[in-house]
Amino acid sequence: MFDRDRDRDRSRDRDRDRDRDRDREPDRDATDRVHTLGARDKKKPFSFFRAGRGEASAANKPILVFEGVYKYFKRDQPTLRDIDLEIERGEFVFVTGPSGAGKSTLLKLVYRAETVDEGRILFCGRDISRLTATSIPFLRRNLGVVFQDFKVVPHWTVFENVAVPLEIMKMPARLVRSRVGEVLERVGLSGRGDERTATLSGGEQQRVSVARAIVGEPALVLADEPTGNLDPQLAVDILTLFEEIHQAGTTVVFATHDRSLLETRPHRLLIIDDSRIIEARSGLTQWAEEQSGISALPARGAA
Amino acid sequence: MDFTTAIKRAARSAREEARLYLVAISSLAVAFLCLGAALITIANLSAIAERWGQSVRLSIYLTDGADAADVTQMRALLDALPEVTSTQLVSSADARQQFLDGNEVGHDLAALPAEVFPSSVEVTLSPAAAENPAIISQIAERVARLRGVEQVETYRTWMDRLRMLVAGGRFGAGVLALLVGVCVLAIVGNTIRLSIANRKTEIEVLKLCGATDSFVRRPFLVEGAAQGLVGAAFAVSLLLALFLFASGEIAPAFAAFTGVRPVFLTVPMMALVVVGAVVVGSAGSALALRRYLAER
Repeated sequence: MFDRDRDRDRSRDRDRDRDRDRDREPDRDATDRVHTLGARDKKKPFSFFRAGRGEASAANKPILVFEGVYKYFKRDQPTLRDIDLEIERGEFVFVTGPSGAGKSTLLKLVYRAETVDEGRILFCGRDISRLTATSIPFLRRNLGVVFQDFKVVPHWTVFENVAVPLEIMKMPARLVRSRVGEVLERVGLSGRGDERTATLSGGEQQRVSVARAIVGEPALVLADEPTGNLDPQLAVDILTLFEEIHQAGTTVVFATHDRSLLETRPHRLLIIDDSRIIEARSGLTQWAEEQSGISALPARGAA
Repeated sequence: MDFTTAIKRAARSAREEARLYLVAISSLAVAFLCLGAALITIANLSAIAERWGQSVRLSIYLTDGADAADVTQMRALLDALPEVTSTQLVSSADARQQFLDGNEVGHDLAALPAEVFPSSVEVTLSPAAAENPAIISQIAERVARLRGVEQVETYRTWMDRLRMLVAGGRFGAGVLALLVGVCVLAIVGNTIRLSIANRKTEIEVLKLCGATDSFVRRPFLVEGAAQGLVGAAFAVSLLLALFLFASGEIAPAFAAFTGVRPVFLTVPMMALVVVGAVVVGSAGSALALRRYLAER
C-alpha cells in the first residue's frame, strides 16, 4: 500500500512536469499533413502518424513513450506499475517476462484494446491514452498487430486476409492488388493469394498475419507472442521475417517468453518483472552476464 | 467503406451462409404472406364499402292497396328533390319475379303468390347525398309520413355494419402489420446474431485493422435489408400469382354477390410492404449488432 502511495506521488509529480514537456508534442505542420494512400483517401485523425516518417523534427522523437503508466485489473494490485519507457523510431525491441506478467497488456494499451488507468502513452508524440472511441480505428490504421493465434479469417483467401487494412483505408483495387502482391512476396507467400487461408500450415498462416500487419506500411508493428503456436524452427523463421521488416525501417515491438529467441538476438530487451519494466539495452545474453541471475525469466521451453 | 464493398461483403456472407439465410427468408416470406393476405382482404372490404356507399338507395314499401294517385304524387315529389337521381315503381309481381330470378328457389317457394311480396318504390340517391347520412334520414322521415307508405328501408344499418367491419379489418391489419414487423425484427435479428457468432474472427480482424463501427456494420445492414426485400418480394409475388390464378374462378361470383370485382394490393401498397420490409430488416440487423459492437 505504501509503495502504491509513493508511486502515485511520483505520478503526480510527472503530471506537473507534463506542461514543460509540451515541446514533445508533434509539430503542427506534421499534423496537418495527409498520408497519401490513394486519390480517394481523405484526411483523418491520426494521419500525421505516417507523415512523421519523412519529417526531420518528428523523426528525431521517440515513436512510443510510456509515462508513469499504471494498469489495474484488480484493485491495489497493478498489472503494470509506473511504466516509463521510450522506444525510438526504427528500433527492434523484445518484451519478455513470465506468462501473466503483462506483456500482452502492455501491447493492448498501445493498440487501445485496453485503457491506461494512470499515466499516459505518446505515439508519435500524441497522447493515445485518452483517445475517444471514434478515434481508435484511425490509431489502429497506423499500427500493425500480429497475434499468437494468427487471427486470420480461415474461410477467406490469403489475398482477402492481407487486403483488409487497405480496403478499410479505401485504397483503389488496382493499388490493393499490387501492394498485396508485393507484401506476399516479402513474407514468402508469392503466388498463393488465391488459396484459402484454412488450408495453410500454422507457419504460413502466421506469415499471412504478418503480411496483413505490414501491408499498410504502419509506423509501428506490435507482435504479441507471434511464435507461441509454432515449432522452434518456424519460430526462428518468423522472428527473422520481423527482423527483415525492421531492417526496412519499421519499428517492431516483439513480445515473447521464448528464451531461445531472446538468446540468439542482441536486440534491446524489456523485461516485465513484478509489474515493472527492467531494461537490457544490449540483449539477453549480455544482460545475463551482468546480472547474477534471471529470476524473472521462465526457464527454456516453459509456457 | 463504399456501398459496393459493403454489397460485395454481404454477398460473400450470403454465399457462405446460404442455408441460414434461406431459412430466414422463408420465415420472413411466411410472415409477409400473412400480412399480404390480410391487406388484400381489407382492400376488398374497402372496395365493397366504397361501391355500396356510392349507390345508396331507399326502398319505400307501400301498403296493400295503396292508391296509384298517391304513389304517382309521391314519385313526383321525390323526383323533384336534388338529392334523388331516380325512382322506380316495383309492383308485387315484379318483386316476385326478381326474387325468383335472383335465387335458385325450390318448387314450394316458386309457388308463392305475388301478394306475398309488397310493392315498393326504389329510390336512387345522388353520390353527394350518399355521403350525408343526415339528409337520407330526413328524406326517409318525410316519406314515411306520406299516405300509402308502410315502411322506409334506408339500409343504413347494413352500411354501418359494413363500415364497422372495414374499420375493424383495418385496425386488425394494422395490428398484424405491427406483429409482422416484430417478427421480421426477431427473425432478421436472430439470423444476424447467428451470422455474427460465425464471423466473430472476421469482425475482430476488421476492428484490429482500424475499421470503424460503420464499416463493420454496413454489410450486415445490407444483409438484413436483402433478407427483408427477398422475403417480402417473394410473398407479394406468390400472392399475386395465387390471386391471378384464383380470380378467374372467383371473380364472377364475387362480383355478383358484392357488386365489385376482387382487387389486389395497389402498386403503392406493394411498394410500401417491400420498402417496409427492407427498412425493418436493416433495423433488425442494426439492433443485433449494436450490443456486439458496443462491447468492442
